[in-house]
Order: sequence, then structure tokens, then C-alpha cells
Amino acid sequence: MTKQKFVKIYCLSLTIPFLLLVFPLFSIANRETPFIIGLPFSVFWVIFWIVVTFIIVLFLYRIDPDKDEKEVH
Amino acid sequence: MGGAVFSAFSFLGAPGWAFSRGAPALYIITYTAFAILPWYIIGPKIGAIGRKHNIYTVAGFLQLRYSSRVIAMIIGIVALLASIQYLATQMKGMAYIFNIMTEGRIPFWLGALLSYGIVVVYVATGGLRAAAWSDVFQGILMIVISWTVGLTIVNQLHDSVPNMFRNLTQDNPGFLQIGAEGSTMSTMAYTTTILVSTIGFLMWPHLFSKSYATKARTIKKTVLVYPMFALFLIPLLFVGFSAVNVIQSNQIGSPDEILPYLITTVLTLPGWVYGLVGAGALAAAMSTADAITHSASLEFTDGLIRNVKRDLSSKTTLLIMRIGVFVIGGLAYFITVFGGQGLIALLLGAYGSIVQFAPGVYGALYSKKITAPAVITGLISGTVVNYYFQLVADAPPLDINPGILGLIVNVGLVILISAFSQGKEMPMAEEYRKIGS
Repeated sequence: MTKQKFVKIYCLSLTIPFLLLVFPLFSIANRETPFIIGLPFSVFWVIFWIVVTFIIVLFLYRIDPDKDEKEVH
Repeated sequence: MGGAVFSAFSFLGAPGWAFSRGAPALYIITYTAFAILPWYIIGPKIGAIGRKHNIYTVAGFLQLRYSSRVIAMIIGIVALLASIQYLATQMKGMAYIFNIMTEGRIPFWLGALLSYGIVVVYVATGGLRAAAWSDVFQGILMIVISWTVGLTIVNQLHDSVPNMFRNLTQDNPGFLQIGAEGSTMSTMAYTTTILVSTIGFLMWPHLFSKSYATKARTIKKTVLVYPMFALFLIPLLFVGFSAVNVIQSNQIGSPDEILPYLITTVLTLPGWVYGLVGAGALAAAMSTADAITHSASLEFTDGLIRNVKRDLSSKTTLLIMRIGVFVIGGLAYFITVFGGQGLIALLLGAYGSIVQFAPGVYGALYSKKITAPAVITGLISGTVVNYYFQLVADAPPLDINPGILGLIVNVGLVILISAFSQGKEMPMAEEYRKIGS
């Protein structure tokens, strides 16, 4: 994979969870019920997508073509 | 990095917002999780450019790319203004902690003065080197504190987290809905508040400059662990929610005092917990305050002073920088004691002007068409619009965050003027675009 392609994948795959957490898409989750694991739905939704984002970034780091690149000076 | 970002605002402002405003406080964890992510891509690139050309400030970075001294001078001034506001949030936080933890024995003005003294002495004598260790220590301390103290408070007031939310939604329907009837924030305000913080975050001089000092690999790894930090803020929000209907807002001076107030007056906790929380919050505020003061002084000297008077010896420059620390601290103290805004309002105000750097920075990194006159016009107009809607106008149109309004004007002007102006000499345009990508 080229570096440019990686940057594109990186930006796209992280923009999606971000958009789900701001309006207009956040309207889906902007309510108090149902309660999930004791949390109101909106609170659960935000925490859930942050965890997902964390997992996505971990995955992206694994496929990053030049994470082992030597520093260029 | 983590340490410098956890500031008085997250420790006091987050529970304060949850207590007084409800669901809009979720913005804090959202932006904390996302704002660092672009650093994975732009951090190594900025670092490579900086190391090659021996740059260490935002002002220097933009000055070289656009070969414009005016840009550097404006950056120096805007960074100074924004940093003063930011520093005031930290000072205010420290003053609250001193005040409440000593049960009023240290009055607010004296607490703020003490913090000013500590920060100035710390930065003027030691510089930044001491901060690395205290950052790590502080990060761990904050995590432990926020979870233990947060859950203890929730359990003592409501037995459990689910119980707390059940009570809250029963007694205050709509409190956990943004834009609902009785909500404290509209949906537009919520979204643009997240945007201004997310875009502005990496533009802060003290964070931007970390790109130069950090290896690409370390940058990437920092980004990896970062969303975790957002999760550590969750119990702090819970503390704020738990106080609703338990504490009346007239019992405390300001919502930002809710966490220390709960710890000292409502709960019966052993004395060491007070100490631990006080130390954690102070460490948080302190490490942010010293980084911001140092880099504001650096930007101002490197951007403005060096370009106005070009034949300064390095000794004079250093002296000016140290005097700068006193002045910045003094102005922040003034705002702390006489300005009436809450912690998050202050912080958002500062973000509104710092976010105006974004078009110039991203233009430098990814475009060769953006020109100096475009960036200058955009930067000035964006900053003016931001301050106008923050300080002068009653309410911004459509409830859009003033910083985002400024940014819209800014980006529009940058694109428009770049299309109609030719860069006179931009030897660096192509190089900036190519390095590290």
C-alpha cells in the first residue's frame, strides 16, 4: 500500500465515527432511553463510538506501511 | 502530551458542565477522543519540515513557507491573546482548588496569585525540561483519581451509576438531550463547539511544537493510546451528573467548583483523598500552565519581536522571553480575578482564535497554491469575527460557535484570494508539500 492510499483510508475510516457523534447524525442517539449497561442511550452511544475509534486506530497502525520507517533528517 | 492536555478544565470544567448543563458536557469526551487523530498524519510531516529547517514555532513554520514576516507577526500576537485566555482557565482552576481545599482560608485572589507565582518562577527558571516527568506522573495520578473519586462520589450519593441516571432522567427529563425543550444547548452550538475544539487542538503552539521534538513513531503511538484519555474523563462527568438535584446551584459560587465542593463538604472521605485530588488537579493545571506560558512567550518573541527588531542578540531574546512570561502571567491573572466567565467559556474563547491558524497550516502542508496575502487576510478577518461574536455581539447567528464563524470567513477568504493572487516567491511551497508524504 502506498502512503497516499493509507492517508486516505485513515481519514475516511475515522471521519465516519466522528460524524456519528455530531449533528445531524447524532440525532439518532440523542435520547435518554433505552438504558444500556446502566447508561442513558446518548451517553452509551458516545462511549461506544470512542471505543470503536480506539480499535480502528489500533488496526490502522498495524497496516500503516511506514510505521517502521527510519527517521529522515 | 497526555499530561499537558489534561488541564484544570477537564478536572473542574467537565464536572461543572455536566452538573449545570447536562448532555452538552458529552462534547468534552468526544473532542478529547478525536482532536488528536490528525496528528498521526500531520505530526511526522511537521516534524520533518521543522528538523530540516531548524524551526520550532508555529510562527516560524508559516513564515518560511509563505516567506512573509507579517504572518509570523500576526501569529505571535494571536498566540499571545489566546494563550492568556487559556492560562486564565488554568489559574482560575488552581485558585478554586486552593480556596475550597483550604475551606476558604486561601481566598480566590490569593490562590490565583500563588498560581501565578509558581508558574512564573517555574517557567522563568527551569524551562520545559522538568515537565516531561511530571507529565507521566500526572497522567497516572489523574486516571487513578478520576475513577476512584468519581465512582465513590456517585455511589455515596446514588448507590450506583445506573441508579444515578435513573434518578436524573426521572427528575429532569430533557437534561440528557441536546436541543430538547429545557436543554442548555442547541444542536448547532453542540456540533460547532466540538468542531472548534477538534480543529483547534493541534494548532496550539505548545502542542504543535511537540511535533518537532517527537519522533514519527512516538507520535503515532501517542495517537494510539490517546482515545483512552477520553475514557478517563467519563467518571468526572458522572460526578457532575450525580450532583444534580442533590446540590443546589446557589450552594456553590460557580459550577466549576462542584468537584472540590463535593469532595470536601458532602462526602466523608479520609484526609488523604483531599490531598490526592488537590495534588492531581494542581499538577494538571500547573503542567498545562507552564507549557502554554512558555510557548506563548516563544511564539511572541519568535514571531513578532524578532521580525520587528531583527538584530537582537540571543541574550536579549532570552531576556525578552523571560519578561514575556511575567507579562503573560500578569494579564492572565487580571482576567482570572476580574473576568466573570466560567472555565469552559474561557477555554472555548481561546480556541476560537487559535483555530484561525488551521487554514494557513493545512495550506502549507497540502497545497502549493495558497498565498501569503490570502493567509494574512483570512487570519485577521477570522480572528476579528471570532472576537466580535465572543465579546461584542449578543448571540452569534444560528448559534454557531464564534470560532467556527471566524473559520468559515477565514477559509472563504483564503480560497478566494489565493485564486486571484500570485505568490511572489514561494520557494518552500513545493518542498513543504512533498516532505514526509
